[in-house]
Amino acid sequence: MFKWKKLGKVFDPRDYKNKSWMQEFAQSPSVLIFEKHVRVYFCSRPSPTPDDQYLSFLSYIDLDRQNLLRILNVCGIPILSLGALGTFDEFGTNPISVIRVQDEVRVYYTGWTRCESVPFNGAIGLAISHDNGDSFTRLGEGPVLSYSPDEPFLLGSPRIRKYLGKWHLWYIAGKEWLQTDTKPEPVYKIRMASSEDGINWIKLGKDLIQSKLGEHECQACPDVTFREGKYHMFFSYRHSHNYKGKEGGYRIGYASSVDMINWNRCDEIAGMNVSENGWDSEMVSYPHVFLLDGETYMLYQGNEMGRTGIGLAKLTSPQNWCS
Amino acid sequence: MKWTKLGKIFDPTEHSLSNNCVEFAQSPHALVLRDRVRVYFSTRERDKIGKYLSHVAFVDFAKNMQNIIDISKHTIIELGKLGCFDEHGIFPIHVARDGDRVLAYTAGWNRKISVSVDASIGLAISHDDGRTFQKYGNGPIMTASLNEPFLIGDAFVALFGGSYHMWYIYGTKWKKFKESDPPDRVYKIAHAISEDGINWHRDGRQIIADRLNIDECQALPTVFHRDETYHMYFCYRQAHGFRKKRNNAYRLGYAYSNDLINWERNDNKAGIDVSEEGWDSQMQCYPHVFKSGENFYLLYNGNEFGRFGFGLAVLEK
Repeated sequence: MFKWKKLGKVFDPRDYKNKSWMQEFAQSPSVLIFEKHVRVYFCSRPSPTPDDQYLSFLSYIDLDRQNLLRILNVCGIPILSLGALGTFDEFGTNPISVIRVQDEVRVYYTGWTRCESVPFNGAIGLAISHDNGDSFTRLGEGPVLSYSPDEPFLLGSPRIRKYLGKWHLWYIAGKEWLQTDTKPEPVYKIRMASSEDGINWIKLGKDLIQSKLGEHECQACPDVTFREGKYHMFFSYRHSHNYKGKEGGYRIGYASSVDMINWNRCDEIAGMNVSENGWDSEMVSYPHVFLLDGETYMLYQGNEMGRTGIGLAKLTSPQNWCS
Repeated sequence: MKWTKLGKIFDPTEHSLSNNCVEFAQSPHALVLRDRVRVYFSTRERDKIGKYLSHVAFVDFAKNMQNIIDISKHTIIELGKLGCFDEHGIFPIHVARDGDRVLAYTAGWNRKISVSVDASIGLAISHDDGRTFQKYGNGPIMTASLNEPFLIGDAFVALFGGSYHMWYIYGTKWKKFKESDPPDRVYKIAHAISEDGINWHRDGRQIIADRLNIDECQALPTVFHRDETYHMYFCYRQAHGFRKKRNNAYRLGYAYSNDLINWERNDNKAGIDVSEEGWDSQMQCYPHVFKSGENFYLLYNGNEFGRFGFGLAVLEK
């Protein structure tokens, strides 16, 4: 079993009152490591509009590499604009995943659009930075990964990796929208695609992770890391209904694979659960695992899907990834 | 090219249609069968909130294209499930014979908030000569991509030289021409190629030059081979004020090609234009050319985008 020591919350967007686009939420943390600091990209939101609709923007903070609980810098403006009228990312870019390749930095993100019969839809976009991740420009007005016959809607939650000289994208795809007494609720599952250039993708076309909460389990954030000859995935999952409180809310699951395609789910050893009380006592989700100076860390979001910020945990034992 | 107009051949208001549809017979597409010509079209019902849903129906003509033999009373293809690309309508449906099967390439419509709609291309397959179609998945086979950000539709598929070719349209922008009006869309014609009719490789470029201006809307390409040349008909209009103003409304355009890649546009050679008066005097749109026996026929819609039916013309030999 993985053992994580929680180091507490590292960032709360509500502490920064003068940033209109960053009133609440710090979701989907993803790191880029620099010589002196660790940049944490995340998605923040302005206050909702009167009809209770949110936008979401790409933001970052820089943490001291020697002390990850110390914030050195917070970005001054959103670093990726929203899409043009009618495009797939007109209303938000969230969640995100960042990767450095030679002298460019890429962010893969979910674009938000709003629909009439269901509240929203998503597809995966790509934006590129040529200034070391300070600002990003989208590669095109449309998505790089979108709907197909067996992935009819809600593509999102991208996690981009490069393994064995190839690009791999873990993401989610919608299965169905469930009618409820109020608004429709989606069901989505973890999937994967591969690519030679990170732009043209071949979808694997199957759900990777067996559902534990029944066929309507929602799975998100497939954060994959390669250690000791195996691929390890930390992800989040929840019920499709009543998920906004402790009972049905997001938890962190775990699965491992030797080939990236066949995964063995084993949530029992994930080792990351809700706290007795405090900011992550109702839910934990959107794990992002990274290696820094010989230590393994996990960034994650807590209650209310990250409304109050991002927390950090450190792997204590075992360092044995073969178990 | 010179077309002889045979007049309006179908008026939806004179028939009882399935799915509570009352008006519109838009974008006619023909499937030539042994003893008849089946013409598919999109017709409309009003939903609970008063908005239109487009459904597919067909009418069977005798080979003389004058006598109506049958009209569909059943659901030919279901609209999409909640949240799917084709939840709010299928328009148009293009059918292509493929051995024992009939393939249908649909444009599925779904309603949005900041703009009125989006569209993607779906595939459905029939094993009963086109009476009913089963969907190839709940999602589309072709949707928005990096440089084609929205409004993918109007597929026309033909087998030329052993490959499947598709001509289709993609949106380039939504533009507000007047503060008081909702945004208008701009779309262009493009081409894709496939070995199986399912997975498509797109050229990623506009293939028909604009004639009006950069905001010209181009739609409904239909392609046929005759006299060693490939011919394309399509419709085009101004992006704004196209519903009410005759001069801004849809007209038929024409282009030709020797290699299926490079197209020379020359609308003056289309050989058909709006009439002085009558059902196709304000606009002409949604052309579909097909061969039946020795004749090339052109199906198309007239005024009000086909609210009161479609007409036919025949190519002079």
